[in-house]
Amino acid sequence: MKSLHDFHPLVIFSYFFAVIGLTMFYMHPILLIISFTGATVTSFLLLKKSFLKSIKWLLPFMLVAAILNPLLIHEGETAILYINEQPITVEAIVYGFAASVMLIAIIFWFSAFNAVMTSDKFLYLFTKISPAVALLISLTMRLVPLFGHQIKKIMYAQRAIGMDPSSGSVWHRIKAGTRILSILISWALESAIETADSMKARGYGLKGRSTFSLFRFDRLDGFALSGIFILFIIQLLCSYFGWNEFYYYPTFSPIVWNGPMIFMTISYGILVSLPIFIEVLEAFKWRSLKSIN
Amino acid sequence: MALIEINQLMFSYPLATKPTLKNISLEIEAGEFVVLCGTSGCGKSTLLKHLKRELTPHGQTSGTIHFNGVALQDLPQREAASQIGYVLQKPELQIVTDKVWHELSFGLENLGYDSMTIRRRVAEMASFFGIQTWFRKNTTDLSGGQKQLLNLASIMVMQPQLLILDEPTSQLDPIAASEFIATLQKLNKELGLTIVLVEHRLEEVYPIADRVIILDAGEIIANDTPIKAATRLRHVDAHHPMLLGLPTPLRVHHALKQSDETPLTIRDGRTWLEKHYEKDHKQIQEAEPSGEVVLDVQDLWFRYDRHAEDLIRGLNFQLHQGEFLSIVGGNGTGKSTTLGLITGLLKPHRGKVTIFNKLLKKYAKKELYQGMISMLPQDPTTLLVEKEVQLELAMMSKDQTAIDRVINLLQIRHLLAQHPYDLSGGEQQKVALGKVLLKNPKILVLDEPTKGLDGESKQVLARILHDLQSQGTSILMVTHDVEFSAEHATSCAMFFDGEIVAKGTPAAFYSGNHFYTTATNRMCRQLFEDVVTTEQLIARCQSQQEVMTHV
Repeated sequence: MKSLHDFHPLVIFSYFFAVIGLTMFYMHPILLIISFTGATVTSFLLLKKSFLKSIKWLLPFMLVAAILNPLLIHEGETAILYINEQPITVEAIVYGFAASVMLIAIIFWFSAFNAVMTSDKFLYLFTKISPAVALLISLTMRLVPLFGHQIKKIMYAQRAIGMDPSSGSVWHRIKAGTRILSILISWALESAIETADSMKARGYGLKGRSTFSLFRFDRLDGFALSGIFILFIIQLLCSYFGWNEFYYYPTFSPIVWNGPMIFMTISYGILVSLPIFIEVLEAFKWRSLKSIN
Repeated sequence: MALIEINQLMFSYPLATKPTLKNISLEIEAGEFVVLCGTSGCGKSTLLKHLKRELTPHGQTSGTIHFNGVALQDLPQREAASQIGYVLQKPELQIVTDKVWHELSFGLENLGYDSMTIRRRVAEMASFFGIQTWFRKNTTDLSGGQKQLLNLASIMVMQPQLLILDEPTSQLDPIAASEFIATLQKLNKELGLTIVLVEHRLEEVYPIADRVIILDAGEIIANDTPIKAATRLRHVDAHHPMLLGLPTPLRVHHALKQSDETPLTIRDGRTWLEKHYEKDHKQIQEAEPSGEVVLDVQDLWFRYDRHAEDLIRGLNFQLHQGEFLSIVGGNGTGKSTTLGLITGLLKPHRGKVTIFNKLLKKYAKKELYQGMISMLPQDPTTLLVEKEVQLELAMMSKDQTAIDRVINLLQIRHLLAQHPYDLSGGEQQKVALGKVLLKNPKILVLDEPTKGLDGESKQVLARILHDLQSQGTSILMVTHDVEFSAEHATSCAMFFDGEIVAKGTPAAFYSGNHFYTTATNRMCRQLFEDVVTTEQLIARCQSQQEVMTHV
């Protein structure tokens, strides 16, 4: 068993691609609630404290969306009150609420995705698409902190001879600021020569460059990927047959618990709760390992 | 057949009037550890670059270079890239990618190896170099020593036959430098790797080299075993600036004109000294700093972040008028941070800094940096911005006589029309120092001023600092260079764990240390406890010789 972080980047990417993609298209309240619950629990498991912090501003956002929609949209049959002779309908309120639930579910899925899909995993996937661009990204990621460090050094040196871009008259600040930038640029150009030498010295530019990565696709990754693929295809088929259809206007379509509906709900539930299942199982596993040792 | 055969190599840069390399002929056998040395600008880096085809500079070349019997220009590209490894001077600029493991695999990817081979070779090298503990780290998070080790390892994965290094330890602190040299020795001894190394810190590499080649103005003036090469150098020119860079035991032996076998290591030097000289109990007389206190640091505490640990813990020290205080100590003990605190770049959360009897925080910035305190940063290029050296100086002051005075003091008149980036490291530093001096600081702060300088440039710097000191400037220097500090400072202090743990005049201070002291002191402490510099040792030995000849 492994935790979500340890799966192959391809598995992680496909999973989030499937879940986020489906969440974006499903407006059916049951499916929305499933996705929302899954997203909340998953990102809580992965992010813990920072997740709790993010809730603070998401809840008010949800309420605002629920209020804003009925003020702008006046469709729907069940009016509860009139403002300026325009009806405020229950349908519009519910629709606004549903849309904001969808939006927040997507945000949560993305934050979980961000936590799992670190830059090197992302880069690895990119390498498969375009090795040259991926290498370029890797070089740039190296340069950004390097420049940051150098600009700090230059700033210190300049401040100690009285060229401080953070104080003095506006003219002085502009002068000091441009001078720091100019020093950084000459330094960058000079040092690029040395970096280029180091690349040339190690055979960069030879024909037939290969790419290497630390990630390995093992059996468990295979299982997970095929599981995700099957569940995703099932959802696509269900949608093709229109089993996920639900109308908010003019009034709500009824939710009938027939065979197809139950099948779709359960299979979607399984897909959405995969990460929770993996994380919880992993936690239990460690617990039992701890009690043995 | 030799691994490298150079025959009558001549080279001159475009537009240069004199050739940079003249009639270079030499052979390097497989498995040799060759040290190439010479003063800056003697052509040693140019010669090295000729051994690595991808880096060979443009210009007029004649003569031939053969690698394994094949002319270098006929070597297939793939072989040229992998068989000859090249490590450059600056650790951080050679690193190309953002992850340690990716950097290690970079060369092999270029050569087009498959994943399984790369995985295995990378694993092998990471274990050999002890990289496994930081294998998955970002390259930015490494220390200077780790970065240079990574550069070496990422060359070694390509399994080269010849390893060329251009001053690889010049940017490292002494401990990281010795570790790096030890790794080179291990590669040479255990894997039989051929190594050609350019260095100016010879104390450690000189004894382990099989052969030393000394270059002077583009010509080979010595090419022999370490001891013979040194003797040869002395015969060519008794005042050759390169002699300053030789290891201490050798220099002492030369100066005392002894004719027996030359000692190379500290251990041999000790035995040799004991054989010829007797213990005495003289004490070197040194003056304690006595001038007015210009900088007073009291109970300083500092941390970078509220939740971080304190980096400076209750620091106390004073700097007197005309004093040259040097602070030594390991990496990350807070030396550079201290400089930030006393120059007002960082703010302490407790304690106070007083400059000329006025609190540092009461100074207006203009007042402080115009004529009170100035800092020469570690990297001189952080101060250089103009197209010509004279413009650099002109922007600091409108007073032409002041500029002339600084130019004369630093002896940089011949550099005025050049672009700062075309200068050598030592020259760049002089220009940067000139800019700082034009602010007329009463207190001059130096951050590792001898880093990357050769023996001669260090002497020049020392002379300038002495001149300033005699004019009444107080100097505070942070350094790793124990030798420089012992020879030129008027007082020395040891920094550890955020405070100064010991302070004293150089001889008293260094003779009190056991490990953190000069090579000279380590060599002669059993005879002359108080001697810390080579000159002192030579003088002491000479006085004994005189006494003996009189008797």
